Amino acid sequence: MTRLAILALLAATPAAAHYGMIIPSDPMISQEDGRSVDLTISFSHPFEEDGMILERPQAFSVTHEGEATDLLGDLSEATVMDEPGYTLTYGLDRPGTHVFAMTPVPYWEPAEDAFIQHFTKTYVSAYGDDEGWDAELGLRTEIVPLTKPFGLWAGNVFQGIVHLDGAPVPFAEVEVEFYNKGQQTSAPSDLMITQTVKADGNGVFTYAAPSAGWWGFAALNTAPETMDYEGEDKAVELGAVIWVRFEEWITR
Amino acid sequence: MIRTCLAAILTLALSGPALAHRVNVFASVEATDAGDVVVVEAKFSTGRIPTLGEVRVEDADGNLIGTHALQDDGTARFPLDPVAASGGMAITVTTDDDHEGYWILTPTDIAGGS
Repeated sequence: MTRLAILALLAATPAAAHYGMIIPSDPMISQEDGRSVDLTISFSHPFEEDGMILERPQAFSVTHEGEATDLLGDLSEATVMDEPGYTLTYGLDRPGTHVFAMTPVPYWEPAEDAFIQHFTKTYVSAYGDDEGWDAELGLRTEIVPLTKPFGLWAGNVFQGIVHLDGAPVPFAEVEVEFYNKGQQTSAPSDLMITQTVKADGNGVFTYAAPSAGWWGFAALNTAPETMDYEGEDKAVELGAVIWVRFEEWITR
Repeated sequence: MIRTCLAAILTLALSGPALAHRVNVFASVEATDAGDVVVVEAKFSTGRIPTLGEVRVEDADGNLIGTHALQDDGTARFPLDPVAASGGMAITVTTDDDHEGYWILTPTDIAGGS
């Protein structure tokens, strides 16, 4: 293969990370906004808006005041970033924080010679009531927010604890990526499409978002078990993903 | 309709500073054996429940329908008057420490609860 061909191949491969995505129409629904929230659910490389196929998830739920409700049957098939995904309009009957969570089926990624399963969640506040913003759902792996995961200004920091099987993960690696909707920005280097921070010894990580929009945080760990792929044991990457929107600072 | 008629109330409510100690108000219609009941719930942004305060209920034209005292659990309940509520209702809670919040119970909200 010529060097040119290799370069062309590299250029065609997204440099970004895989992300499960649950993006609500608004993370803070006021009574003037209506009585429901629209969700767009996908699997993608969000910075490059490079969609991937999202199979029907294993589970999709909303948790409110500690009670989880199964919404898997309410998902509508949709095309998101040119690939199969889902949408859902969910009626918000009560105030407070509603946490939407998806457990996808493990995705076989030949390029990484591993399965990928991203436990994904997004927090939505209804009607000015933020109670429940720090809810831990008990997912196999999840980022438990230490910063309220909505109502943040661009430039604020977001902090969370990485949990795996119910315990903090010291020095966990967390990938951070911007949902670059409409390709509103570009990165001067591939290294800046997906940024990486590490948690401290207590599993706590910190990131300051430089601009308004949706930011995805994915804490990645390798499962102790393997999965079979064509007769071979393969590693399973477990991702704890949370989506957080930062709001633009408006000067009057 | 109700949004226009209640504009003055909304403007008043929205013009106030969003204090660190807000009171959130939510209202819904609950079907009971005795008929539909409006349930008003008030809660400070801290999560604490206001135990003293007044609930003021107005129709879509801004006419006062009634006032009710907040109960110890931060709620107030009163029978739904379907005629007075036909265009919706504005429900304003003023706590005794002078914090105020509101909820607009729209005709759709009322129909959904019945």
